[in-house]
Formats: sequence, structure tokens, C-alpha cells
Amino acid sequence: MPTGEIYFKHSLRVNDYLCQGCTTCMRTCPTAAIRIRGGKAVIADNKCVDCGECMKACPHKAIYIKQDDFGLIENYRYRVCLVPTAFIGQFDTKYKTKAIYSCLLKLGFTHIYEVEHEVARMMELYNMYMEDHPEIRTFISPYCPAVTRLIQVRFPSLVDNIIHVRAPLELASRVITQKLIDEGARRESIGVFYVTPCAAKIAAVKYPVSGKPTCVTGVINMDFLYNKVMLMLHDSDRNAQPINHTLNSRDVQWSLSGGEAPHFKGAHYAVDGLQNVLNFLEKLEDETVDAPGLVEMRICDQGCVGGVLTTQDRFVARKRLEYRAQLFERLERSKLRETPPEDLTLTPQWIKDMEIAEIKPRSIYKLNDNYAEAFKMAEQMKKIEKALPGVNCSACGAPSCAALAEDIVRGDAKMDTCIFINQNSDSSRDATKRIWGDRITAKNNKKEQ
Amino acid sequence: MHYTFTIERGNFADAGQASSNVKRTLKQLGVDPASIKRAVVALFEAEINAVAHAYGGTIDVDIDAEKVMMVVADEGPGIPNLELAMQEGWSTASPQVREMGYGAGMGLPNIKKNTDELKIDTKVGVGTTVTMIVKLV
Ligand SMILES: Nc1ncnc2c1ncn2[C@@H]1O[C@H](COP(=O)(O)OP(=O)(O)OP(=O)(O)O)[C@@H](O)[C@H]1O
Ligand code: SF4
Ligand code: SF4
Ligand SMILES: [Mg+2]
Repeated sequence: MPTGEIYFKHSLRVNDYLCQGCTTCMRTCPTAAIRIRGGKAVIADNKCVDCGECMKACPHKAIYIKQDDFGLIENYRYRVCLVPTAFIGQFDTKYKTKAIYSCLLKLGFTHIYEVEHEVARMMELYNMYMEDHPEIRTFISPYCPAVTRLIQVRFPSLVDNIIHVRAPLELASRVITQKLIDEGARRESIGVFYVTPCAAKIAAVKYPVSGKPTCVTGVINMDFLYNKVMLMLHDSDRNAQPINHTLNSRDVQWSLSGGEAPHFKGAHYAVDGLQNVLNFLEKLEDETVDAPGLVEMRICDQGCVGGVLTTQDRFVARKRLEYRAQLFERLERSKLRETPPEDLTLTPQWIKDMEIAEIKPRSIYKLNDNYAEAFKMAEQMKKIEKALPGVNCSACGAPSCAALAEDIVRGDAKMDTCIFINQNSDSSRDATKRIWGDRITAKNNKKEQ
Repeated sequence: MHYTFTIERGNFADAGQASSNVKRTLKQLGVDPASIKRAVVALFEAEINAVAHAYGGTIDVDIDAEKVMMVVADEGPGIPNLELAMQEGWSTASPQVREMGYGAGMGLPNIKKNTDELKIDTKVGVGTTVTMIVKLV
């Protein structure tokens, strides 16, 4: 694997014991970040964008997301659980939000804060950025960190279309921390723990594009917490503690695809699902689509309810959140519930903290920093690609023949790793020919030698 | 490096393959995104013109150390008044072409804007050859 500076780090891991080297993950990866080496999947740090596709695809559950030790929360006197509503969407609507939050308190948290409290403030930050950049026609929401990374590596010409504002959870952790300090807590005694639906949000916390320090203390995987809460839920309805969940009906749906639309005045597009995101970015880059306004993109189908660490069917989870939102709306209309006031306070410090100075292009395509060298390599790669059989069988440990060609010119593989080319008996050549016809056979390979 | 593609008359849906290929190679070479965009946009506009206004044709792309040269040659009606055609907003696109979202009369001016050199050879009743050069360094 290539050496050099590593600028992306990840929480995604391959369990070598479970991995069968079956190539399934390798073929789904949108950035061709995976190779099979020594019979196991290996992920290249600088190519991976934390989209979670490989983990979703693995039939052996060999890819996992490393999380912080839950016991870490004990180190803090104020233990904040920072939850996105996607978590609530995991639970049947027969459970009251109050009951779910009650369980979180019983698990050891002292405070619960919903990320979606920051919707209004985040939108304000977006709008400020957009007003400051009238020269940009299409803005891409920074909501999904996997989209930002994907743009960096595959569509570097679009990095400046991304709104340069950090993830909502950063603002949320700052706001709740400040609130607790105002109430008399010491900064060091506050721990903020984010419940994540995916690997991308973890990367956004631990290895942020902004390069700035995070205000989140630790990250807890959503599926892990779901199991813990589910075990307790049946009897907690009765002794639920009174907790104010003060989100308004609109904000509850923010994490769903299309969730940013109601908060935005101008033209708006909601693109979700990896393939759709890739297609749309491709067109934006080629200018074959004209999309003035704000494009909201989520790597996961339906948005964060489709995150790799969720436990429920994404369509069901979506419906549940919509149902809860409708319930809130009815209660608000009949004055049984107060409509939570919108808090738009943004301190100059927060505004500064949320800024991203630069999103660097990190092209995975560039063959060499030196143009002449890159030119030679590209030429060679084209030749090699032509010589390979083009069946994308992955037996060489690369996801496609094109990827192997690239590995070869980069010096990470050799021509004879191709099993079509590297055949040394007539019977195996005949067998190959019966299936694949006259593509690459050892015969025309011999001619070349 | 040389690439050849064919253009099919009226096939808007599959247009863009040539520009995708050029884009991929230019990305491998580490060409700056702005130049890539200029080349890709120009090539796509020229291809669409051959699809929309002519009866198909061929695309030849040559990439060397300094530049990318793209030649889109079609068999078609040719352009009777090139000066007029180069003006922004001037178009003879049919209603069908307009329905596809083309026909604003911006293609040729856009090509002009995005290329460093542009040559259009056109003969009424024979065809049109658009030669575009985008400098890379
Ligand atoms: N290859 C071609 N063959 C014949 N006529 C052409 C060709 N290319 C352009 N033209 C003529 O020149 C006119 C202007 O072309 P231009 O690309 O600027 O606009 P358009 O194709 O009509 O619309 P747009 O490119 O904005 O979708 C066309 O309407 C057509 O009459
Ligand atoms: S998380 Fe996505 S980008 Fe990273 S290795 Fe898996 S599929 Fe590839
Ligand atoms: S859509 Fe949401 S859950 Fe999926 S990768 Fe993006 S931020 Fe994570
Ligand atoms: Mg045109």
C-alpha cells in the first residue's frame, strides 16, 4: 500500500478473524479503497470516505466501527448524551420519547440534548455563508461528512461548493457545554457523548476536515445504545422521569432526506443514497445539470435513518419520525404542547468555531505530482488496461481490471497477479477459453512476451 | 494519448461518454480542476451539437504534455452563417431538441469561452468539424 502522509483516519476496522476475503466489500466501495492482501480486506486510509457501504455489504459481519469505551462517561460529573432524532426513530412509536430518554438517564447520563436543537442556528450559519459567497451558484450542504470526503477525493473541483461550516454536532456540543457552565458546572467536569448513526460522523468528530479541536468528548455507536435501552424499556414507561423534549415538529425530521428543505427559502434539492449522490456530483462537475440553490446530500438512502449503525428498517424509522412530528404538530395546534421558541443566539465565538477555513482537494486519481511522470503512467495504465481481460473478477485482489492497472503503474501490484495472464497449463487455458472466449489467453499473452 | 469515440444522431441520453473519459485521464494527470472543467464543458457542448443538429460523427481526443486537443467532426447540414451561430442566444434547435433542455443558443459561445483555441470548419450540406484546444500548462 502507498506510503506517505496520511490525512484521513477512520474508526472503521476489518476483523481479520471474521474476514473471508470474499471481495464483496471491495466491489461496493465507491472510491476503490479496498484490496485483498493475505486473504483479508485492507482499507487504504487516504481513499476511504467512511460511507459505510462496505460494512453494509459484508456478509460475514467482519467490518465494524470502533467506539469509545462506554465506561468513559463515569469520568465526568456532567454526562451529556447528545442524541440525533434518528435514534428515536429506532423505537416503536408506542414508546414515548420521554420513556426512551428516561432509560438513557438510568444508564448513567445526567443530561440529554438533541442535536436537532441546533437546526435554526445551523441554518443561520448556512445562510450567512451563502450570503457571503454570491459567486457560488450551487451550494452543497455540509450535513453528511461522508459527502464532504467523497467530494474531496472524487470531485475535487467541487470542494468550494460545500458550505464551509462544521457539523451540527459541534455546535450542539458547544451550546450544551456553555449552558452547563452558565449553570455553574466546571468545564473539565462536563463530558459530551454523541450517539452516532455512522462512521462518517465519528470521523467528523475525531479527524475533522476543519482540523480544529472538537467539543465532543466521546462517541457511542447507535446500535450499542439501542440494545441497552431496549432491554430497559418495557418497565420504564411507568416511572419515566419528566424530561422536556422541546424540539418542534419540523426539526424532528431534519436528519431525514429532504429534512433541510423546510428551513430554506431558495431552491432546494434532496439527493440521498450513494449511487444518486455519485450521479448528481458527476453531473454537477460536468455542468450537465444546473442546480442553483442548496443541494442537500446524504450518503445513506433516506438520510441518517439509513445509517450503517441503525438497527431498524430505514423506511419504518422514517415513518416513525414523521409520525412523531405529526403528533407534536397536533399537540401544538391544540395547545396541549407549547411550540418551542426558536433560539437563534450565535455568539461570535461559536461562529468562529464553526468555520472551516479550507476544504482541501484530495484527489485519489492523480498518478503523480509531476505532470510528465503522471503522463507516462497514464499512458502505461491505458496499455495495461487493454491487456487485461476486463472481466473484473477480483481474483487479483483489486476491485476491477482498471484498479489493477492503476496498482501496477503505482508499483503496488504486478502484471502476473492477473490469473488470466498467469496460467501455465494448456488445460487451464482451455478451461478459461470455454467460459470467457477469446479474451486474454496465455497464447496472446505469449505473443506479447 | 489518443481516444476515439463515435457520436450517434439523436442519442442525447448516451452523450457525455467522451467527456467522462477525458475527465478521468486529466484527473489522473493531476491537471487543475479549472482546466479539466473547461475541456469537459467544451467537449460536451460540441458533442451535443453534433447529436442535435447533425447526423452523428466522431470525436478524436489527443492529450499531450501541454494541451488537450479535441476534434468533433460530423456529417450534417453544416452552419450557413457561422458569425450568427457564434452569437449568444442564436439557435435553430427544433422543438424536440428544446424539450430535451437544449437550444438556448449558448453552446458555441460557451465553447469559445472555455477553449484556448477554436477552429470551426463547416460546409453547408457536408458537415462541420470543430477543433478545440485547451492548454494544460
Ligand atoms: N454541428 C452542427 N451542425 C449544424 N449546425 C450546428 C452545429 N453546431 C451548431 N449549429 C448551429 O448553430 C446554432 C448555435 O449553436 P449553439 O450550440 O450555440 O446553440 P444551440 O445548440 O442551438 O443551443 P444550446 O447549445 O444552448 O443548447 C445551432 O442552433 C445550430 O443552428
Ligand atoms: S467506508 Fe466506504 S469508502 Fe471506506 S472502505 Fe468502506 S466502502 Fe470504501
Ligand atoms: S446520511 Fe447520515 S448516517 Fe449516512 S453517512 Fe451521512 S451523516 Fe452518516
Ligand atoms: Mg449547442
